Amino acid sequence: MKALILNVDLTAEVPIYQQIRDQIVEAIAHGALTEGSTLPPIRALAADFGINFHTVNKAYDLLRQEGLISLSRKTGAVVTASAADQLLPSDWTARARTLLAEAVARGVPAGHVLQTCQALLDSFGQPQQEDKP
Amino acid sequence: MIVSIILGFILLGLVLLLALVLPSVTSSTVPFGVRIPAQYSTHPVVAEQARRYRRRVLVCGGVIAVMGVGSLALTRQPLLLPVSVLVLVGLWYGCFFLAHQEIRAAKIDGGWFEGLHQGVAVDTELRTNPPRFPWRWLAAAALITVATAIIGVLMYPSMPQTLVVHYAGNGGADRLEAKSVGSAFSLVFLQLGLTALLAVLAAAIIRSRADLDPARPEGSARWARHYMSLGAKALLGLVAMIDLGLMASSLLMWTGTVTRWAPLVIVVPVLASVVAAVTVLARNNADRGGNGEDTGLTHRDDDKFWRAGLIYFNREDPALLVPRRFGIGWTLNFGDPRAAMLLAGVVALIVLVITLRFRG
Repeated sequence: MKALILNVDLTAEVPIYQQIRDQIVEAIAHGALTEGSTLPPIRALAADFGINFHTVNKAYDLLRQEGLISLSRKTGAVVTASAADQLLPSDWTARARTLLAEAVARGVPAGHVLQTCQALLDSFGQPQQEDKP
Repeated sequence: MIVSIILGFILLGLVLLLALVLPSVTSSTVPFGVRIPAQYSTHPVVAEQARRYRRRVLVCGGVIAVMGVGSLALTRQPLLLPVSVLVLVGLWYGCFFLAHQEIRAAKIDGGWFEGLHQGVAVDTELRTNPPRFPWRWLAAAALITVATAIIGVLMYPSMPQTLVVHYAGNGGADRLEAKSVGSAFSLVFLQLGLTALLAVLAAAIIRSRADLDPARPEGSARWARHYMSLGAKALLGLVAMIDLGLMASSLLMWTGTVTRWAPLVIVVPVLASVVAAVTVLARNNADRGGNGEDTGLTHRDDDKFWRAGLIYFNREDPALLVPRRFGIGWTLNFGDPRAAMLLAGVVALIVLVITLRFRG
């Protein structure tokens, strides 16, 4: 298993909780975090970053709402990735629409957009293609 | 007397050596306690200040050594040597601070951090799968302490009725005490206390926060893990050697052996293991796993939390133990009330030991 390193840009426009949430989602996609992997306790992670407790709490809460992790007092934060339903949530489609629209607006050819998407999916190295119903 | 003169000069030489070597074994992005972006680590101001610092330290060391020899020739007392070591440490800090101020001024004037993305990197594995406590290294210290206690119990009936509990500077016994459990086992109690204290410190190091370089977090995380485990082992190795010295001193006391070399039995293993521990940590101090892909982030400018370039003071930070920026190993967060309590405890302990020793 790869080590999970979270790297936060303090000067970026993206809020810190969002950066943490995004990096954990990517770690799950990459396989650095698998089902059952534990995340550090909220307080410990906040102390290691030197940031407010509520910032980490917000990131974990987002992940919980998305069904990617479960939070409990006994076991802490645990990844539940594949337990979530296989369908994409509606807001995912909305965000993907915006991203694709950006590419189209810039005049990027559709083939190149699709190629980039495929390359990114491949970079996660997950056997996603084979488990079609 | 010869012994204390030689030891005094050895100590002076070691401090001088450490002062000269330290800048080259600290991270190149924190020269003289000033956080700078990696691309400025070869800036002419930094190189010039390092040169000046070395020259100043050498001059101070020379002056102190001459003064030490002079005072020895005049007064015939080796007492001034420990004082001159303290003076050298003070002057050393002065040299450090001059370089610190110059580099800091250049950094602020030049706006070295302008436009850079400052980041923080965290290795979550340090929390979910922390490095293991080096039990084997603690076992060495524990075994020596237990062995000393057992030997003491076996020898107790045959010990002399009066025990030498203190030696004068010239190596002669200057304080005797009637045989009792308290006097005979005083050094065993010291072994127990020191072993427990350093074991707690080693555990705190293992759990402490790593200071990763966000530009190359993966190599940096590997280094931090290695360095933590090394630091814990160095501390436990150190306490094992101190316990060994105390064991040898106890044996001298229990057999009624009076020798002018008695202080060496404790000083030599302690000094040797301190030098070994510092050398091992220093060799691993500068190269912080800095190769690998650059993420484009720079370590955040945390100068404001370091008072006078050396003392970490951050009330917002819940961490008690943090890696030192200039020097080797770790330091306390003095913004945390627990640090003040810890210091007060150590001072109280020293005062207690001194009053106990001079009561009789």
